[in-house]
Amino acid sequence: MIMVSPVTDETKPSQSRHDGEPDGPAPRRPIADRPTPTRHVADRSAADRPLDDPVPTRIVLAMQGVTKAYPNGRMALRDVDLMVPEGDFVFLVGPSGAGKSTLIKLLIRDELPTKGLVLLDGRDLGRLKRRDVPKVRRRIGVVFQDFKLLPNKTVRDNVGFALEVTGTPRRVIVPAVDRVLRVVGLTGQADQLPGQLSGGEQQRTAIARALVHNPRLFIADEPTGNLDPVISWEIIQLLLRINELGVTVLMATHNAEVVTAVRKRVVALENGRIVRDEHGAAYHRED
Amino acid sequence: MLHFMAFSLRRAWLGFWKNGLMSLAATATMVLVLVLMSGLIILVIGLHATLDYVQSEVQVVAYMKDSASQQDVLALETSLQKMPQVSEVQFVSKAQARQDFLARHPGEADIINTLPDNPLPASLQINLSDPSNYVDVARYLNAQPAVDHVMNIQQTVDQLNSVIGVLQAGGTAILIVVGLIVLFIVVNTIRLAVVARADEIEIMRLVGASDAFIRWPFIFEGAMVGLFGAAITIALLFLSQGPITGFLADYFKVLPIEASTTVGPSIALVVLGTGVGIGVLGSFLSVRSYLIR
Repeated sequence: MIMVSPVTDETKPSQSRHDGEPDGPAPRRPIADRPTPTRHVADRSAADRPLDDPVPTRIVLAMQGVTKAYPNGRMALRDVDLMVPEGDFVFLVGPSGAGKSTLIKLLIRDELPTKGLVLLDGRDLGRLKRRDVPKVRRRIGVVFQDFKLLPNKTVRDNVGFALEVTGTPRRVIVPAVDRVLRVVGLTGQADQLPGQLSGGEQQRTAIARALVHNPRLFIADEPTGNLDPVISWEIIQLLLRINELGVTVLMATHNAEVVTAVRKRVVALENGRIVRDEHGAAYHRED
Repeated sequence: MLHFMAFSLRRAWLGFWKNGLMSLAATATMVLVLVLMSGLIILVIGLHATLDYVQSEVQVVAYMKDSASQQDVLALETSLQKMPQVSEVQFVSKAQARQDFLARHPGEADIINTLPDNPLPASLQINLSDPSNYVDVARYLNAQPAVDHVMNIQQTVDQLNSVIGVLQAGGTAILIVVGLIVLFIVVNTIRLAVVARADEIEIMRLVGASDAFIRWPFIFEGAMVGLFGAAITIALLFLSQGPITGFLADYFKVLPIEASTTVGPSIALVVLGTGVGIGVLGSFLSVRSYLIR
């Protein structure tokens, strides 16, 4: 049912490059370092391809029969099947406790599935070697409701931190950070501390940090949960723009208004099961 | 690799100063621990020196028969010197014994002088390398024809041995217990410093920092705490060396103890090694729980 093999083949060159990568300086060029963002920003020498070159659709994320039971016996996910092709924009909706957070934890390999497969770019996260986990995480950008910024670092340093701690040389970090800050529109605030920023600006800082690694998959866990409606809209617009740049986006949210207005793919979870998976859908079932 | 080292060291340095209060707490605890430890070590070394000295003073005295020939006594002396249990043999002649007696009891000179003969026997004074070997030596001496009798110091030796045993075991036990307690305290303090930055570690994990990039800055930081702690401790020991020597010299007048030999480079090395070791271990244990499961 899940077409895994072509995906694996497609990503092979990039994977081997990742495997050969030492813990030290990474030779990768971050997304913002490239002249023009394209559909396949995340990998290969995207810059060498013209924008309109058709790219075969690849599956970025595939979950098959995923069940997650926590040690206390709670079943957070039951038999979840989900496939997200490259370039998709997916809203993950459902009441609190439906399993959204668990699903995200599985994707960033913070938790392992009790049963089933979680494949990122054809790679089985459940069978990932411990030392390869950081490499996979660099291909996923995550933002949270609470931003998770370092209060004593400037916007620029918060974003650069993601590259710094993965061993990127300084001369690469500076231009890469400048570019993502331009993407999220924070160039003017680059030298301010998070405490001096509005909530929306803080979230945009977090988004810039998640983008600076040039991720394949961008995950937003309730990114507008702490923001007022107007600012929430700005953040959604930004995520849509990032999606247009070719990054696959998965956003968990309770924000019905936004989901219904945007008309993207909606995956609804309830009691750990996917109860709805519709394209161009609204927050609530419409029948 | 060079880049990684530079990164880790820089972050350790910044981390140490940025979390000044935590670093201060950890370093202060470290100093306390190390001072306590080196104090105990010096005490134990002093104890050992004292015991060695007391042990070396344990003598077996074998009184010679007056009839024993010079040759027999000389032969006995030589054979004793060859025994591994014996560290030193000294022959005290009758005349020497008389002189010693007079020196010790000047008031009783008349008694000795009124006697026709010198009543004091010649003797061999045997120092033992270990007082517990007393029995072997005494048995050997009693079997010798030249020996009149051997002064019985069995009880003294037994008492001394039990005291030495208690003191040594007690010193070592205290050292171990205190060592474990302070290790626990330092590790916990460093843990607090790490926990204070749990957010930072979480972010590092989320953005895909490898374990090494998360762990090594903290390990270097722990080593820094150990290094500073050791430096302060060594400085303190160095400063207090003079007064300590004076005190020891006053207190144990007879003992050949010099603080310069006890608070020497070896103690400094032990302090440095322990400080850095505990710091590194503490960081290692504290960060471990935050790494990828």
